[in-house]
Amino acid sequence: MSSKTPIAPTWTTGSTEVFKTGTWRAALPLHVHVPSPCHQACPVGGEIAEWIGHARQRDFRAAWEVLTQHNPFPAIAGRICHHPCEAACNRAGHDEALSICKLERFVGDAAIAQGWQFAAPAQELAGHVAVVGAGPAGLSAAYQLRRRGWRVSVYEASAEPGGLMRHGIPPYRLAREVLDAEIARLIALGVQIQCGAPLADAAQFARLRASHDAVFVATGAARVKRLPALDYRLPGVMDGAAWLAACNAGAPPALGPSVVVIGGGSAAMDAARSARRAGHAVTVLALESRAQMPAQRDEVDEALEEGIVLLDGAMLDDLQIDAQGLELRCTRVNFMPAANRGEFRVEPITGSDFSLRADAVLSCIGQDPELAPFGDVLPRRDSLVDVDPSTQSSGANGVWAGGDVASLARFVTEAIGMGQRAALAIHRQLAGEEAKAAPERAVVPLSAIATWYHEPARRASAPLLPVDERLASGAEVQLGLEVEQALAEGARCFSCGTCITCDNCVVVCPDLAVKRVGDGYEVLAEYCKGCGLCVRECPTGSMTMLEERR
Amino acid sequence: MNRGETRVLLTGNHAVAWGARLARPKGAPVYPITPQTPVLELLTEFQARGEFDAEIITVESEHSVMSACIPASLAGVRVFTATASQGLLLMHELLHYAAGARAPIVMANVNRTVASPWAFWPDQTDSLAQRDTGWIQYYVESAQEALDTVLQAYRVAEAALLPAMINLDAFYVSHALEPVSIPAQASVDAYLPPFDPPHRLDPARPESWGNVVSQDMYCRHRQTAEEAMTRVPALAAEADREWAERTGRAWGVVERYRCDDATSVVVTMGSMCGSARAAVDALREEGVAAGLAKLRLFRPLPVAALRAALAGMRDVVVLDRNHSPGLGGVLHQELRAALYGMDRAPRVHGLLAGVGGVNVPPRRIADFVREAMQAEPRPESVWVR
Repeated sequence: MSSKTPIAPTWTTGSTEVFKTGTWRAALPLHVHVPSPCHQACPVGGEIAEWIGHARQRDFRAAWEVLTQHNPFPAIAGRICHHPCEAACNRAGHDEALSICKLERFVGDAAIAQGWQFAAPAQELAGHVAVVGAGPAGLSAAYQLRRRGWRVSVYEASAEPGGLMRHGIPPYRLAREVLDAEIARLIALGVQIQCGAPLADAAQFARLRASHDAVFVATGAARVKRLPALDYRLPGVMDGAAWLAACNAGAPPALGPSVVVIGGGSAAMDAARSARRAGHAVTVLALESRAQMPAQRDEVDEALEEGIVLLDGAMLDDLQIDAQGLELRCTRVNFMPAANRGEFRVEPITGSDFSLRADAVLSCIGQDPELAPFGDVLPRRDSLVDVDPSTQSSGANGVWAGGDVASLARFVTEAIGMGQRAALAIHRQLAGEEAKAAPERAVVPLSAIATWYHEPARRASAPLLPVDERLASGAEVQLGLEVEQALAEGARCFSCGTCITCDNCVVVCPDLAVKRVGDGYEVLAEYCKGCGLCVRECPTGSMTMLEERR
Repeated sequence: MNRGETRVLLTGNHAVAWGARLARPKGAPVYPITPQTPVLELLTEFQARGEFDAEIITVESEHSVMSACIPASLAGVRVFTATASQGLLLMHELLHYAAGARAPIVMANVNRTVASPWAFWPDQTDSLAQRDTGWIQYYVESAQEALDTVLQAYRVAEAALLPAMINLDAFYVSHALEPVSIPAQASVDAYLPPFDPPHRLDPARPESWGNVVSQDMYCRHRQTAEEAMTRVPALAAEADREWAERTGRAWGVVERYRCDDATSVVVTMGSMCGSARAAVDALREEGVAAGLAKLRLFRPLPVAALRAALAGMRDVVVLDRNHSPGLGGVLHQELRAALYGMDRAPRVHGLLAGVGGVNVPPRRIADFVREAMQAEPRPESVWVR
């Protein structure tokens, strides 16, 4: 045996690369970017995990850039959004849902404080779009179209833009400087807004269509609904919307000391709270039980803190007037919602009738769109313009519609989302682009998150203005987060489905089969034996397992 | 003929220790276990008296014993150890490792029942359960054979670069006191020169063992081990012949006792061969043409020698002091396989005799032979008492 020739027991390949452990595999992990539950729930389809990722890194500018891809109003939405994202948040199953809305407000406020502006469109395109109504839907559509380079003219009936955000939402919920700053930014982008330009009739609508390449109808729902039991001619009986608009304009009409507000939605809460601030004693009469009221829970809580009396599950039967003022005769009821939004049934409770005395009654039971100016051009369904919900197209040539005129989802951010969808459809039509079908992708479930990498931590809570200050000053009730709070809250985000390049998958792989490539990861199929450790140990649910069939 | 040998009374265990001493190993990792402990006790006494120049390493288990033996052997020194039963089983994975590394370790194993249940009786299941680990296996009948086989085993193991195990039955061999001739050290030194392998763990010329290999390399590696095993029967015969030249004692690979004109032959291993010799003598007295074929080398199985030794026999009676559940007697089945396809193959009768240390006196062995001559052989092993 030659001592130079390696003997069999010393043979070697020199490395373990000969072990092609990939042949053991029945499933292969894949690094993915998948939707988070918050993204799916978000009315504007916000890339929430992505912008929170930037905020966590203190790059608030980048966070704002991502936020404003979908919504030009983060400071507004950060105050008044009904935040379904938080109800969907996976973190709720771990400790508490992330305070996404407050984080958005923080970023939006930073943008206003820093004076950040939208970048000018990369190009000017030859096309002119009319937007009817400068509320959230209209302004959202105008923004999305303008930033793509289209000429946009917004026609607004009122003297100032903002729609419901100005006339309906009181300044103590949405400070006017915030509203003005975020609208001013749109004007700076080149959105033309003509105020005092109502759509009067069908002929005017026809001229509008003829003189523009596309029309987005976002005229809102300005026609108030009325209670049959109320005689609105009586002194002290008033539509809540008119009351609110006057209050929001800084001139509350004079009413007697005691006010009853009828309604259970946000508008009723706003009317009641504005009445409190005007010095009235306020009772809210709501058909729904407290848990069923469409108003957001925060609003109800804050209203009660402010001394408003809530009579829930109660219906007005009759109103009498005498020398002492108004007498409301009421009955307790069981409220039973129907399957369709806005439809319900009530069941009076026998022998539960009672009466209330008041100097004024404000009714806030909902509003319908005014559809007369559209003649029979736009298709209708019940009280609304009927649209394709994926494009907001009305079916009429060159006309899209969104916001309260076309939906019973009466939330500002829903309207912003509809404006965005309409704008994208209008853009595709004008630019001659085909709609790209986005693949349906399942959201990341909590079970996909390696929660042990996320230390339990309390949700950030922003302080509220003390009640006496609220009533005295009319200032914003909800205050924002401090920067440390915002950073800590950002760090609580699971970043569901959005990789944070933590390299866990690389580190835990027993076969060195996961490779970092830029900001992503590649699985080396020759060596991955499909053990799934990288999937199990991913703190963001960004690795998934695909079964292989050979 | 006195070749400078010293004749003394020794137990099998002490005879093994003497064999180890005469082989002059440099390393002896050890761990005590009944009934092997007297082997290492005597080695430590030798060392204390300055008569055994080996590093005795006392480790915490038999697994560690073999873990120490392997690198010591690969470092190029002669290594000895001894164990039994549970200790051998605990070494199991390292037995494969030693054979794969081609480390020519010599180890004595005292055959003892394996648990459970707990017992200390002679039974060869412990070592037969290691038959596929790649070790050479000898089974010895007496203390003298034990001493001589330790020295022969080093010759064979170091020539083939394979580890070797010498098996002696508990108590019948390990503890029975017999007259033993201890050869002179000079005679042993001439028979067994110092171990000097061409490849060893040496920082001056780096090589490593136990590396990562491809499928093909692994397969070829096993083939080289098989080639080495194939050379062992001839190497063992040569080592035995040379030993006989020096000492006058030859043990053979397969010993044929009164087989020349026999028609019925007992085949067995270890201490039972002694009883079988007495049974054969008794049967011959009766006029039965009986013989004994003693299998001394079990691994590699000397198939050619067995077929030659048993050619022309009418009945082969295999006595197994072991039990492989689901198979029966290991030697019975190995022998059936070895003789399969022979022209006029003998009828093979397999008897599970002496399992768990049950005494099998010569009278019973004679009975077994007479009964076998009258019976048709069965494919399965038969329990007998």
